[in-house]
Amino acid sequence: MSASDIDEIDGPELPEPPVLTPASTRELRGLMKDWRRGRATRNLGQALSDAYVAVIAALMIGAMTVNVILKAQRVVAGCDSASCLSARALLPWAAVLAAVATALAVARLFGPVLASAAEGFWLLDAPISRSRLLRARLVAALAGAFVGGALIGGLVALLTGSGGTESAVWAVATGISASAAVSAAAAQQGRERHRLSRAASFVFGFLAVVALLGVVGVAADRLTLSLSTTLGTEIGGAVAALALVVLLIGGLLAVSRLASIRRTRLVSGGSLVRGISGAFFALDIGLARDIVVQRRTMEIGHVTPRRGHGEGLQALTWREWQRLRRFPQPLVGWAGTLVVPYASEALGMSAVTPVFGALALFGAIVPMLNGLRVLTRSGGLARCLPFSMAQIKMAMVTVPAILAAVWAVLVAPAFIGVVGGVTRPFGTAALMAVATAGAGLLAAIRWTQAKGVDFSKPMVSTQAGALPPGLVTNLFRGFDVCLLATAPMLLGFSPVWSLAIEAITAIVLFNSFDADSMRARQQEAQRQLDLQKRERESQAVNAKQRKR
Amino acid sequence: MAKRATVLKVTGLRRAFGPNTIFDNFNLEVRAGEAIALTGRNGAGKSTLLRCLVGADRPDEGTIEVCGHPMSETDPQVRRDVATVIDDLDFFPDLSVVEHLDLLARAHGITDPDAQVDEVLEEVQLVPQSGQLPGTLSSGQRRRLALATAFVRPRRLLILDEPEQRLDVEGVGWLSRRLQAERQQGLAIIFASHEPTLVETVATRTVTLGAPRG
Repeated sequence: MSASDIDEIDGPELPEPPVLTPASTRELRGLMKDWRRGRATRNLGQALSDAYVAVIAALMIGAMTVNVILKAQRVVAGCDSASCLSARALLPWAAVLAAVATALAVARLFGPVLASAAEGFWLLDAPISRSRLLRARLVAALAGAFVGGALIGGLVALLTGSGGTESAVWAVATGISASAAVSAAAAQQGRERHRLSRAASFVFGFLAVVALLGVVGVAADRLTLSLSTTLGTEIGGAVAALALVVLLIGGLLAVSRLASIRRTRLVSGGSLVRGISGAFFALDIGLARDIVVQRRTMEIGHVTPRRGHGEGLQALTWREWQRLRRFPQPLVGWAGTLVVPYASEALGMSAVTPVFGALALFGAIVPMLNGLRVLTRSGGLARCLPFSMAQIKMAMVTVPAILAAVWAVLVAPAFIGVVGGVTRPFGTAALMAVATAGAGLLAAIRWTQAKGVDFSKPMVSTQAGALPPGLVTNLFRGFDVCLLATAPMLLGFSPVWSLAIEAITAIVLFNSFDADSMRARQQEAQRQLDLQKRERESQAVNAKQRKR
Repeated sequence: MAKRATVLKVTGLRRAFGPNTIFDNFNLEVRAGEAIALTGRNGAGKSTLLRCLVGADRPDEGTIEVCGHPMSETDPQVRRDVATVIDDLDFFPDLSVVEHLDLLARAHGITDPDAQVDEVLEEVQLVPQSGQLPGTLSSGQRRRLALATAFVRPRRLLILDEPEQRLDVEGVGWLSRRLQAERQQGLAIIFASHEPTLVETVATRTVTLGAPRG
C-alpha cells in the first residue's frame, strides 16, 4: 500500500489530539518526592534515635581515626631532616593525583550522570526538559566527588604531620580536583566519548605512582627536589584555584550537554548503582566487584580468541596467564604497590611496612583472581573440571603466586634498608619480604573465595537486631589474614612466625571446599552409626522379649 | 546379549524442605545406553532430584553411586564421568565462547582439542559468536554454550535439567537427535523435561514425579 492509497481510503476522520499542558520538571519531581515521603513511616529524628548502635560505632571509629592521626603525627615529628621534609611535602600531591585518577575511573564506570530504571521509564520519556531533570544528579555527583576527595586529601595531609590550616587547604584542593575530574567526565558523557577520560585516568594514576616514587627517592636522598616545606598552604591554595577553573569549565560544558545523554546510558549507570548498593546492603563486597567486572566485560563484548596450551591442570594455569596478558591492568596496580614498602621505610614507618605492603599487595592481587572467583562462587563450572577443588585452586593461583614471589624479590631491598628506615640483615629482610608477599597473596585468596551471606541460616541476635551469621565478618575477610600474618613482624618477632601462620592459613584456604565434603562424609558416618545403634537397641529389646 | 553396566544407582533417596517432602524412598538404576526422562508438574521435585544426583544438593537419606563409586561432587573421578547442565552453571566473564570450550577440552586431556572444539561449536551454531564474551550472549546462546560444555568433554553419564529451555524449535530438534545418538553410543542419560518431542525421541524410560495436578 502506497502513501497515496492511504489518502484515498474513506473512513471516519481522526480526532484532533487535545492540546495538553505538560507538567513542569519541578511539578514531576515534587510529585515523586511527595510519593516517597508518603511511604515513609518514620522521620529522620526517629530513625537516628533508633540507630544508636550505628551512632556509637561511628563515634568509636571517629575516635580511633583521630587517635591514629595523632599517633602518626607524633611519629612523623621525628622526620626533621631536609630530605624527609621535602618527601612529606610531595605526599599531598600524590593524594591529589590519586584522587583525580580514582574520580575519573568511578565517574566513567557509573556515568557520572545516571538515572534509575523507574526514572528512565516514567520521567525521561515525559515531554519535559531532560537537562533540568538531570542537573540535580550532576550536582550530586560533583558534591560526592568533592566530599570523597576532601576526605582523602585531608587524611593524607593530617597523617603526614601537616598543620590544621594546611590540612584543610589540601583537603579542599583534593576535593575540588576530584570534583573537576567528575565534571570533565560528565562533559565527555554528553558527547558519548570516554577515551579522553580513560586516558586521563591512566595518566593521573601513573603520575600518582611517580609522585610516590619521588617521595621514596627524596626521602632516601637518591633524588633532590627543591620543594618548599613552608609554603604548603599557598601551594594547596594554588592547586585548589586551578582545579576550580577546570571545575567551572567542565561543569558548564556538562550542563550544556545534559540533554543529549542517551537514556540507555543514564539507566545503565542507575542499574549498576542498584546492583552494587544491593550487594553492599548485604555487605557482600565480592558480589559488588562481580557486578563491576561483569559490566566491564559487557562493554568490551568481543575479544580475539586465543588457543590454549597444555592439558590437564596446566591448561588452567596457561589460561590464567593468557587472561592477564589480555587485560593487563592488574599488572599496573601490582607494579604500583612495589613503591609502598620503599615509601614506608623511607618515611620512617619501618614497623608498619609489612602491614602496608601486605595490604597493598592484597588489593593488587584480587583483580588477578577473577578465575578463582568464578570457580568458587558456584559449583557449576568447577564440576565440569576433572580435578579436586584444592588442585583447581592451586592451578588458578599459580600466576598470582609467581607475581607475589617476584614482588617479594623486588621489595626485599626496602626491608634491607637501602632507602633508610631500619637496617636489617639480608636473611631477615628476605624472610620479611616473603612473609609480607605471602600475607598479601593469602588475603586476596581468602577475600576472593568468600561466600555470600546465607540468609537461610538461623539469625544471630545482636544489639543492632537479628543478623545472619557472617554478615559483618565478611567485611573483614582478607584484612584479617593480612593483620594476623604480619602481626609477629609488627610486634618485633621473627618473620618465621609469620611464615608459620601463613602455612597454616594456606592449608585451611586450599582445603576449605573439600572441608564441605569431609563434613558431609562425617555426617553420613554419624548417621550410619546412629542407625547401627538403633538396630542394636531394637535387637536387644527383641531378645529381652523372647526371654520373657 | 550381555547386560550393560550400571552407571547410576540411586537407593532410598529422600529430600524434604521442612514439613514438605519432595521425594521419599526414590530408587533408580540407569545403565549404559539408557535414557531416563523425568517428567511431572512444576514443583514435583525434578530439579531437586537432579541437584541431588550431581551433588549440588544433599539428600536427607539414601545413597547415590556413579559407576560403582559413592557420589561426591568433589571426587575427580565422578567429575570425569558425569557431565551436567543444570541451572548453576557459571561462565568466566573474560573468556570468550570458544576459549571456554578449549579450556574444558584441554583440562579433560582431549587428544585433539581444536578439532573437538570446532566440531561442537559448529554443532551448537555458535561459530559467529566464538569470540564473544558470555555476558553479551542471548539467553538461548548461553543455553547452547552450556550444552556445548557437556558435549566437548568425555562423559559416561549426562545429567540435564530441562535442556530444551530457551532453545528454538530447530534447536530442540537438534538436541533430540544429538541425545538420541549419544544414547545409542552407550552414554547413560537422565534428564528432566517438559518437551514431549524430546522425551519421546530420547527416553527409553519415563519416570513421573509428584502427584498429577487434580
